[in-house]
Amino acid sequence: MTTAAPVRPLTVVSAGVVSSAGYGLAPLAALLDGEAAAGTDAGPGAGDYPPRPVRPVPGFKLADHLGRKGIKYLDRLTGLSLVACKQALESAGPDGAGAEPARTGVVLATNTGSIAGYTDLLYDTLTLDKPQLINPGKFSNSVMNVSAGQMAIRHGFKGLNATVAGGRSASLYAFRHARMAMSVGHADRLLVGGSEELSAPTAWAWHHAGTLSERAPVGEGSAVFVVTSDPTAEEQETALADLLACEVGYNGWAGLNQRQEGRRGLTHGLAAAITRVLERSAVRAEDVDVVSLGATHHLGLERLEERAVRLALGHLPQQVRVGEVLGETYSASGAMQLAGLLAHWRGKPSERPRVGLVTSVGHDGNAGALIVRSRV
Amino acid sequence: MPDTPLRRVVITGLGAVSPVGIGAEVFAGAVRAGRVGIEPIRSFDASPFPSRNAAEVNDFEPAEILRRLDPDRWGRSGLLAAAAARLAVEDSGIEPEVLSSSRSGSIMGTTSGESAVGQSLGGQWLTQGLKGLEPRLVGQMPASQIANAVNAELGLSGDAQTIPTACSASNYALGYAFDMVRSGEADFMLAGGADVVNRLTHSGFYALGAMAADLPRPFDANRGGIVTGEGGAALLLEPLDHALARGARIYAEVLGYAANCDAEHMVHPDATSIAACIRAAHRNAGVTPEQIDYICAHGTGTPTNDSTEVNAVRQVFGDRLPPISSIKSMLGHTMGAASGFGAIASCKALEQGFLPPTANLVEIDPELGPGVDVVPGRGRDARVEIVQNHGFAFGGNNVITILGRYS
Repeated sequence: MTTAAPVRPLTVVSAGVVSSAGYGLAPLAALLDGEAAAGTDAGPGAGDYPPRPVRPVPGFKLADHLGRKGIKYLDRLTGLSLVACKQALESAGPDGAGAEPARTGVVLATNTGSIAGYTDLLYDTLTLDKPQLINPGKFSNSVMNVSAGQMAIRHGFKGLNATVAGGRSASLYAFRHARMAMSVGHADRLLVGGSEELSAPTAWAWHHAGTLSERAPVGEGSAVFVVTSDPTAEEQETALADLLACEVGYNGWAGLNQRQEGRRGLTHGLAAAITRVLERSAVRAEDVDVVSLGATHHLGLERLEERAVRLALGHLPQQVRVGEVLGETYSASGAMQLAGLLAHWRGKPSERPRVGLVTSVGHDGNAGALIVRSRV
Repeated sequence: MPDTPLRRVVITGLGAVSPVGIGAEVFAGAVRAGRVGIEPIRSFDASPFPSRNAAEVNDFEPAEILRRLDPDRWGRSGLLAAAAARLAVEDSGIEPEVLSSSRSGSIMGTTSGESAVGQSLGGQWLTQGLKGLEPRLVGQMPASQIANAVNAELGLSGDAQTIPTACSASNYALGYAFDMVRSGEADFMLAGGADVVNRLTHSGFYALGAMAADLPRPFDANRGGIVTGEGGAALLLEPLDHALARGARIYAEVLGYAANCDAEHMVHPDATSIAACIRAAHRNAGVTPEQIDYICAHGTGTPTNDSTEVNAVRQVFGDRLPPISSIKSMLGHTMGAASGFGAIASCKALEQGFLPPTANLVEIDPELGPGVDVVPGRGRDARVEIVQNHGFAFGGNNVITILGRYS
């Protein structure tokens, strides 16, 4: 019944990126090009980490970016999101936030909120004689939509305000969500992206999950993009890229351990998503210049992802592996992959718009793909 | 303007796993009778707390409802969501293979995700340190497992998106799923939400001073706050043409919705912003205030929420307020599932012709002003054509859905 109707491009006006590489696309580009080395910071609240590397945002202090006012109860995750959001708006120019606050909103991928904030509260709840005396300010800032809510409060975005969870594919769900909302007229402009924070409990969770290779670093960061279906004339000149089709689906129910994947398997699911985004973007497989891969360091998935790309495109184009330099960023990974793609294109002019493919796949069974077209 | 012609979307299946009963018919009967599902807490040791009541789903046996999921491999929130979705599909009479062979998925709202799993992991952390966490539980923890559980149970390969936008989340999920079906992005969608009673949420609402001493008394002069609740709510959204072709029972047509953000404060609701959301929902649904027969309120029973909500409704409706009631008086505050249950109650109100009541009401708060009909006590027989379902949340997230009798 569904139609694979062509999609209208969404313009990426600007990017705000906070990662272990630093702030913005430039340091990420340097890291990807091998012109800078990955940091070796110990990570927030160090001391209780599992034996594996971590890739924190170096020396991150929220007050350095936003001042001291109104940040008392904000966790690290919200801090990273707010700084990325601020940077995206500043890079977007005078019209960044849009003309009408009710038509500007937020769609942010963040899977389980701030694990550090949550575990702090959980600890208090489980150990206090009077658990009802936990800090109310911390509690109201522990809900999973606090980053999106605080972005709206700080910048007056009164439009839709969505937080999206979808495992490693959460950021692709966010891009797809943004397209859906704009295509039916709910918003003109959205701050879209993904955020993830590093903490000892998160690193341990990855360690226990057993899905990352032994030496794979756990990372963090936030990438937020100002996206619009209706850019101003000025924005048309300075925009970074256009987002074409984005498709995400669930393939987990067949069981990932079954060898005979068949039609329902994860490889097929990812390949089908890629084929569908090509069709809906009116892009031919041979026109894809670069693929920004997501399953870096994931046992089993890394090869599965490459196999699916080959299956759908007939070849494996040039690759960007942002996970190699930033570590595993979970629900932010898709947003970081887009940032990686933009960083890869940055400062390398081209005669024609280039086409990038962003792919995502997780052990939970989610898989998705996004087509991105460069402006220059 | 929309890129493609939009199709009409109807609700043809309802699934409720609630503190007042399992199954939409049982749920509706209990709601209509004003039955309260609040009892002493069983799921965790509530002895340190001054109030030890919650609305739990005590008779939930996942294996009795689920056909595919292994209950040992999923958290309670996911199991509640998947069970509700399975019940909604059964209720709709659609062949499950029709769903699994088409572009179908689920959008599920939640406030606290897999908080029962988190609670268990917290216990392991205390006794054994982070090194001692059980990998099986770690894998169950991500909030995204809630929508994944629905897709896995029903064998759906479309979107599996969990929306953790706190207590309006399932209304948002319903709206977004409606967009997906009407635009043709999906053939069918399950929409709803799930949350579970847990120690952290119980503590948190206490800390905020928002917890009732015994029972939630929405709109009452002596209301003291919420009682936490839990459950799974799911609705099956289907294109109207498809529903008609298979002769399906149509509970309601989704006429439209709106979502906005106060952008003022994390916790305190804002009447002006809620009123703007109501107006936008009416505009999107193509209805006027005079056409609304009933409002299924957010109605938490905190002093602030109820007066703000009635104030916002007055800004839009003037002196003619439709009946407005709170099913949280019976279900407790089921958090991310709350407005999903509101939507189910609204569908049943349209189908069976009644107004859901506000239980536990002793004396209506005179401060709410004149003409506030909260349908006290028991449900009331009434022909209902169009209903308005409210969901508000921390973060200032307001979502309002408008459901109408199909004709």
